[in-house]
Amino acid sequence: MSEAVINTIADVEFGAELPTFTPDTSLDTVREFANAVGWGGGGRFSDHDKARKEGLPGALVPGIMGMGFLTSTIHQWCPAAQVVHIDTVFRAPMLADEPCFIGAVVTDIDEDAGLVEIDMTLRNSADETRVFGTAQVRLPV
Amino acid sequence: MVDIEELKSQFLNQDFDSKEFKLDPDRIVTVAKASGETRPEFTDPQHPEFQAPPAFLCSLASGRHLPIDFPSLGGIPMDGGKAVTIHKPIHAGQTVIGRTHLHDIYDKKGRSGRMILVVARMELFDTDDNHLASADSRMVIREREAS
Repeated sequence: MSEAVINTIADVEFGAELPTFTPDTSLDTVREFANAVGWGGGGRFSDHDKARKEGLPGALVPGIMGMGFLTSTIHQWCPAAQVVHIDTVFRAPMLADEPCFIGAVVTDIDEDAGLVEIDMTLRNSADETRVFGTAQVRLPV
Repeated sequence: MVDIEELKSQFLNQDFDSKEFKLDPDRIVTVAKASGETRPEFTDPQHPEFQAPPAFLCSLASGRHLPIDFPSLGGIPMDGGKAVTIHKPIHAGQTVIGRTHLHDIYDKKGRSGRMILVVARMELFDTDDNHLASADSRMVIREREAS
């Protein structure tokens, strides 16, 4: 995993893994996120019992919160990075109160355009991919 | 079996929903911090470049995803994913207009039958009609088998 300081595109190495953090998937934080985006009603993202009554295995982490974990990883990796595009596929639900792990690797570098492509995943503790995606990120040249 | 090309010719690229938003700084901060964001551009409303992170922009596209006359294809649409393209930062307090159209319709075949994927795109504009960002919602619908 690359711990080097990334300030410009010249600092980026193809195949480098981004340093990651442990996302907070606690029910309280998931509920805060869901309320802030207007999805707090109904319990799907805020209450395990209500979610189970809907036939779900428990309260879910919203897919876009997973996208938030991925963009935060990019922003922490390079303080000057701007996410130009991010595309995430919600392969399977992530559950609140269950840990998840971020993976991110540089898969393309366009030094002239100042653009980097990063493949990203969110996996659960069983090492199953729940969310995957690709980000295109602009860095200073 | 639904004719994908016919659906595309009937429904793609026609705006079917429009909404106006004013981005609330407290909600932006909550979303950013809950996502693990540490950069002040996303967590400090006093920062001169304070702006909405991509996930917040995605949340704006949570209204109507299909035109009112779009045919029922079988199962309940599932959220298959989201994408955001950012052309310009969107700041708190800014008035933003979101216009939604269907951007793509395609299918994937698997062991359990055909899945139809519908991409609804909300394009976000400022009040001078400058295109600021686009948020795509990818819906997955399992096609109902013909009886």
